[in-house]
Amino acid sequence: MKSGGAVCCLARPVGQILSYPYRTLKMLKQDLILRNPLRQLGFETEDILPEGGFGAVLAHAGVGKTALLVQLALNAMLRNRNVLHVSLSDPVHKVTLWYRELFDHLADRYEATQVNRLWESILPHRFVMTFRVESFSVPKLEERLSDLSEQGIFSPEILIIDGLHCDATHEGDLTALKALAGRNRMRLWFTVHTHRHESPGKDGFSAGFSPVAGLFDLVLELQPEHADIHIRLLRGSSGHAAADLLLDPSTMLIKDRV
Amino acid sequence: MAGKLEKVRNIGISAHIDSGKTTLTERILYYTKRIHAIHDVKGKDGVGATMDSMELEKERGITIASAATFCEWLDHEINVIDTPGHVDFTIEVERSLRVLDGAVLVLCSVGGVQSQSITVDHQMKRYRVPCIAFINKCDRSGADPDRVIGQLRNKLGHNAVAMQIPLSLEANFRGVVDLLRMKALLFEGDNGEQVREVEIPAERLAEARRKREELIDAASMFSDELTEAILEEKPIPVELIVEAVRRGTLARKLTPVFMGSAYKNKGVQPLLDAVTRYLPCPSDIENTALDLDHEEIPVVLQPDPEKPIVALAFKLEDGPYGQLTYIRVYQGALAKGSVIVNTRNGRKTKVGRLVRMHADQMEDIDAVSAGYIGALFGIECASGDTFVSPGLNLTMTSMFVPEPVISLAIFPKDNKSQINMSKALNRFTKEDPTFRTHVDDETSETIIEGMGELHLEIYVERMKREYSAEVETGKPRVAYRETITQRADFNYTHRKQTGGSGQYARVAGFLEPLADSPVDFVFDNEVKGGAIPTQFIPACEKGFRLCMAKGPKMEFPVTGVRVVINDGASHAVDSSDMAFQAACRGAFREGYLKAKPVIHEPIMKVVVETPTEFQGAVMGLLNQRRGMIVGAQDEGVMSVVEAQVPLAEMFGFSTILRSATQGKAQFTMEFALYRQVPQSVSEKIAEEVALRKKSAA
Repeated sequence: MKSGGAVCCLARPVGQILSYPYRTLKMLKQDLILRNPLRQLGFETEDILPEGGFGAVLAHAGVGKTALLVQLALNAMLRNRNVLHVSLSDPVHKVTLWYRELFDHLADRYEATQVNRLWESILPHRFVMTFRVESFSVPKLEERLSDLSEQGIFSPEILIIDGLHCDATHEGDLTALKALAGRNRMRLWFTVHTHRHESPGKDGFSAGFSPVAGLFDLVLELQPEHADIHIRLLRGSSGHAAADLLLDPSTMLIKDRV
Repeated sequence: MAGKLEKVRNIGISAHIDSGKTTLTERILYYTKRIHAIHDVKGKDGVGATMDSMELEKERGITIASAATFCEWLDHEINVIDTPGHVDFTIEVERSLRVLDGAVLVLCSVGGVQSQSITVDHQMKRYRVPCIAFINKCDRSGADPDRVIGQLRNKLGHNAVAMQIPLSLEANFRGVVDLLRMKALLFEGDNGEQVREVEIPAERLAEARRKREELIDAASMFSDELTEAILEEKPIPVELIVEAVRRGTLARKLTPVFMGSAYKNKGVQPLLDAVTRYLPCPSDIENTALDLDHEEIPVVLQPDPEKPIVALAFKLEDGPYGQLTYIRVYQGALAKGSVIVNTRNGRKTKVGRLVRMHADQMEDIDAVSAGYIGALFGIECASGDTFVSPGLNLTMTSMFVPEPVISLAIFPKDNKSQINMSKALNRFTKEDPTFRTHVDDETSETIIEGMGELHLEIYVERMKREYSAEVETGKPRVAYRETITQRADFNYTHRKQTGGSGQYARVAGFLEPLADSPVDFVFDNEVKGGAIPTQFIPACEKGFRLCMAKGPKMEFPVTGVRVVINDGASHAVDSSDMAFQAACRGAFREGYLKAKPVIHEPIMKVVVETPTEFQGAVMGLLNQRRGMIVGAQDEGVMSVVEAQVPLAEMFGFSTILRSATQGKAQFTMEFALYRQVPQSVSEKIAEEVALRKKSAA
């Protein structure tokens, strides 16, 4: 997957693309999954998190936490996994825009044809739910979830929670979510907003996140350095390859280090 | 009509249905002394609001057609266009926005930013219409203007800034505090016509000061003088703030927010002041036309009455005295007796009677200058046509007109109704480009097509009321389409020898799907070595193109097909255009059925606003209708559920939604995309089509 020489950030892996206009949707999906640099996070199994597991993406404001999680979600949707995206900060249309934008970039990078058909085919695997920060509560989320699953509307396998403060004040919520994840065999991803004035502690986590870090199985950090955003694995099983990943600031797509 | 252009405002009043925009317009007309009594939308006095001039609108309490009206306030001439609030009539809203220079976005202080406000806001963005906001119904229980301002910021992305604060809310709502001049305004008299200025009550002073700071802070982004005055800690002149707010508003970077209760006659006069202060005059806006002589290069129009005329017909109405054409003049002056040319058909007309409209009353005028809105009598044209002085060949940008998604067969009850029905259809199709009509070749039924169930229902009602055309309607039919999903080859020979000269043609090539392409049909000729003589190639294209109108699978229109011909044969005597057309039809049939054809159906974006306790039930309803729920937004007491639902499943949804939510939910619907029909449904459609064919035979 590595492109040689000084190639610009949008460089396509030329020569590796099967230019066959009639690739079936299944082939296309498979192709996108295989080419996804996320695989290089070093995990042998399909899923990065275990069932009932927690993952977090730590970064300062505006660095790309949501973009990274949306790509994790898109990858899951391509594998026919149901993703429930819960946002406490953005309205539904903004969240859906994130998905469409990143999907288009992804399809563009890997020269996927029939983009709209592919998009239509993965869309049923996503459900967006938004709450106001102040009105969000775990029982409320659980009620909505049972509304959805009882009526056979949607049963999420991956839950993304964007905008919840993952600190000691919300430890109760996080513990309740952990129990919920276990009961429903879901994998949960969170965005964690870190502040520039906070210097990380010994464990590498910010002071706010540290007290609840024990609940998390995997922690990624986005760190801007010069013109690049590095994806660092702070906690997780085999993480050597993660250090090779970057977030392209122009497209917000995950890419290999050049 | 030769006043100064700086004192002219062409404004629209846009909002969600039931936000009270018609009531607000009514009050505006009252305070500007255009009417002398106030009627409510669903008036007990049986008169109804002045702007809702159509009988049907009065009955349903909704505004269907945009009526343009004229009034004066503080030396300014204001043309007000009342726009419809329902999405089914969106073309009306879009057309109004096209001719407006500014708009007042009316929001309900209880409901806040609702789905329709979002649609209207998108449209305003598309046409770059600067706007000010008016938070209405501050007297209603649950009124919370601060929350609405927050929604304007979060949901619509406006840089909304309060220009007023309310004096109490709900039943005690008395008036507003003007943050510019730091005065409280009370509205007295029987109809609130006397505005009394008093000192701000002591208990509200601190809040007023704080909000004024916020206002000045936001405005200072648009004025260096204001920033300097703040830094120097000098008293800030009101004019400086007004100028800065105006600049921000014109650039669409600031939305000043006003508040009141039109129904209780409070806060309307300050809103009128704001229209004259902050919204643009015609010369503040740059309008362009396309030059048809020079490959449609955009040409900037000058709002100068001395220049040649460029005017746009944006609305037609058939009144008792003939067709009334609403026009906006962008350049030159349209005077009685002047000769104008309709760019679409080159037809020359002499301007006869010119009027200025006041809802359904009118006054005669001599000329309409650039920047003004007026109406012409006795001009044959369609809405969206451009009129110019002879010698010019300009057209205003054509408006985006969506394809209809639903159709309905209509049958007149008797001969008289038949005649009236054709008259009505003739007028409606001219007035509204999204409403179309044709006669089905096979069944000889008259079919009407439009953007939604309600859209067609309203026209059927209007036929009955305005034209006494008694018509019966068939079941609504969805505009399905067919397309192919894989490449397929064809090689077809058309041969006929039945005495006289024969017919011979052979075409070979392939069909393939046009993925993600905006065009419906592409024809490519890759024939080499003259296998098909060049003179027959256009006949081949025509033959294939004709097949697109009716697919061989279910006879729905075919879209998204690329046809490539790469071989063929001809005969020196027996080949002809007709023979090649026939061969192409045969070839299309042959290739099409091999190319795995599928049916596509229109999918609607449905947005339901419901009290949160019914959210689960609403999602269930949408799910039962093959809906895909895109998201659910929790907004405290209310929730918004957004889904994509096939149009075919949406018939009668309003009744079902009402009964499932105790009438507390409402929904809007607009066309989103075409999507493939699932196999089971496709079989059902095939059965229906077969049945219809059988009954037609």
